[in-house]
Amino acid sequence: MPRDPLANPGPLIRRVYAYVAYRIGDGPEAEDVTSDAIERALRYRASYDPKRGEPVQWLIGIARRCIEGERLRPRPATSAEDIADPLDVEAETLERLTLGQAVARLDERDRELLALRYGSDLSARQIGELLDLRTNAVEVALHRALGRLRKLLEGDEEAADEAGLKTRSSTL
Amino acid sequence: MKGFWRGEDGDLERELRAHRPEPRSEFVHELEARVREDRRPARGKLRIAFVGALTACMLFALAAVGGLGYAASAVGDVGVTAKRIVNTEGPTIVTKSSAASQYGKPTKKKVKKKVKAKKKVKAKKKVRRAGRPRFTG
Repeated sequence: MPRDPLANPGPLIRRVYAYVAYRIGDGPEAEDVTSDAIERALRYRASYDPKRGEPVQWLIGIARRCIEGERLRPRPATSAEDIADPLDVEAETLERLTLGQAVARLDERDRELLALRYGSDLSARQIGELLDLRTNAVEVALHRALGRLRKLLEGDEEAADEAGLKTRSSTL
Repeated sequence: MKGFWRGEDGDLERELRAHRPEPRSEFVHELEARVREDRRPARGKLRIAFVGALTACMLFALAAVGGLGYAASAVGDVGVTAKRIVNTEGPTIVTKSSAASQYGKPTKKKVKKKVKAKKKVKAKKKVRRAGRPRFTG
């Protein structure tokens, strides 16, 4: 009898959710897609083949098809200023929002790679198997995606610094 | 504030992992319950499969000692007996046969006459016996 891929669902649900949230944005829409993926997994549970990969790879494959089926695009990330005064918001929350905004501004391919690597916590080899790529190619693509993300974050910081200087000078 | 992204690739990777979007715990619990709920019918199927396998084993064991043949013949005998009990039709009389055309059709009257005649003879004999005194030697 084949191994049950959903024997320990908790950690799998968290990894699928993180992947989906990195792809389309955190929130109710990500929850809907995660639920849909789990429902499909339950329906096709018997079709899981352990020889073709870990349960998480199988589930992420299902989640990918759910996103592609719905043609979901990332929502414009909520800015930190919209939520509360930046001075009141904790540094961690601010970082999280900044990071989320920057990831949402990446192109589809980079977002997919980062979601697979840092959202669902798959290895470069597992990502390669899922996207039909060589492990080396995945590592290089990930390195480039990280570089682009860093540039976006640096650009944001410079823009924020400039905006801060302007407000300070206008108040003085 | 110095941005965490200014360091090496590792810093940014660490931040991406640390600030990974987390689902609400209620949402996770609900989905976990849904998965567990779906697992129950699989157990039922397993039970049915177990019972089926056990039955097959028992049949195999019976067949090995000729129990199946014995049971089949017993069932056949029961069938024959039941048929005999239930069957209400009398013997089939064939009226048009080669024997009938050769010897003629037996009539009921003739049979009755013969029976009556035999009875009369018997009655006469009885009377005779009753009329004679018993032989005493």
